[in-house]
Amino acid sequence: MKFKTVLPFAGLFVLAIAAGIVTGRLVFQSRHAPSRPQTAALLLHDARPLPEFTLTSTDDKPFTKQSLTGHWSFLYFGYTHCPDACPTTLSALDHMMASLAKAAKAPKPAVYFVSVDPKRDDPTLLRNYALYFNPDFVGATGSLDALRALTGPLGVEFSYTPASQQGNYSVNHSSFVVLVDKQGEEVAVFDPPLDPRRMSSDYLNILKYYGETW
Amino acid sequence: MKRYRLLLLLMIAALLPLANAASGPSVRASLVWIRQAPPGVAVLAGYFTLQNLTDTPLTLTAVESRDFGSVEIHRSFVKDGVEEMEPVPSIAIPAHGSIEFKPGSYHLMMMQPKKNLFAGDMAEVTLTFSDGSQLAILAPVRHDPPAH
Repeated sequence: MKFKTVLPFAGLFVLAIAAGIVTGRLVFQSRHAPSRPQTAALLLHDARPLPEFTLTSTDDKPFTKQSLTGHWSFLYFGYTHCPDACPTTLSALDHMMASLAKAAKAPKPAVYFVSVDPKRDDPTLLRNYALYFNPDFVGATGSLDALRALTGPLGVEFSYTPASQQGNYSVNHSSFVVLVDKQGEEVAVFDPPLDPRRMSSDYLNILKYYGETW
Repeated sequence: MKRYRLLLLLMIAALLPLANAASGPSVRASLVWIRQAPPGVAVLAGYFTLQNLTDTPLTLTAVESRDFGSVEIHRSFVKDGVEEMEPVPSIAIPAHGSIEFKPGSYHLMMMQPKKNLFAGDMAEVTLTFSDGSQLAILAPVRHDPPAH
C-alpha cells in the first residue's frame, strides 16, 4: 500500500538524478572541454585580435587583417638575404605541412612569410623565395610604416645592421612564428628550434581546444 | 745519363706518397652541404664539421670559393627572441677537437653565387688554416641536411 505509492516517486527521483547528471556533463563539457593542451608552443591565455594593417602579398592581392580570416594562419617575419635562420624556419614549416597532410581532414593552415626588408625584397624575389619552400606559401611586404602597423602589436622586432663597404647588411628580426586563428586573432607563438612534428601536433591540439572539428 | 735521370724521377715518384703521409691533412671535413636557395637569391649558407687531426690548435682563417663572389664565416644566434647574425673573422679548432657549422649557429655566408645552384650541384670551397695548410672540399647543394 504505502510501498506502492512510493514506487513511482522513487522511479521519478532516479530519473531526475540521471537527467541532472547528463545535463550537468553537457553544460560542463561545452564550457570547459577540451582542457587546455600541453604544447611546446606558447598558447596565449586569451586570443588577441590583430590590428588593422595593409601590406601587399606576392599573389598580387592586398594582405590585410581580412586576409587572415576564414582559415588558420602561420606568420613568420624575415628577409630573403637571410641564408640561415629564415630557410631553417621555412623549411621546418614545410615539413610541418607534410606532417599535417597525414591528418588529411584537418583544416590546412596558410603560411605567410612577411619580409621586413622591403628595400631589397621586391615582389618577384619574395614570391620565388616563398614558393621555393612550399608551393602554397605566400610572401608579403610593404613600407616600413605599413609593416610596423602589424609587427608592433605582435611584438615582432626588426632592425638593420650597418651596411658593409659592398652595401651588404643583415636584418635582426624576431625568431618566432605566430599562429592566427580563423577569426584573425593571435592564439599562439612558436619559438625555435622548431620541431615540425611537434608543431603539427601542437597545431592540431590548439585547433581542438578552439572547438574546431574535422 | 738519360737512364739515370729516369731512375731519379722514379725514385722521387716513389717517395712522393711518403712525403704526403708525413705532412698529412691537418683537418678533415665531414657533413658538408650548402642549403639550396631559390633562384636569384644573393646569399646561400654552407655547413660542415671540421676535425683538427693535429696535436696543435688550428684556426680557420679564410674561406674562398670560385663559385661565389665572396664567402665569409658568420654566426647566427637568438638574443632576447631576436634572430641576429654576426661575421666571425676566424674560428679556432682545438687540437684533436672539432667545430660544427650548422643551422642556427656558425655557417658560411656564401654571397653572389656565379650561377643558380640546384640540389645535386657541387661547389668548390677552399679553406685556409693558421698553419698555412689548405683544404679543398666539394660541397654538395642539398635541400635538407645530410644524415649524421
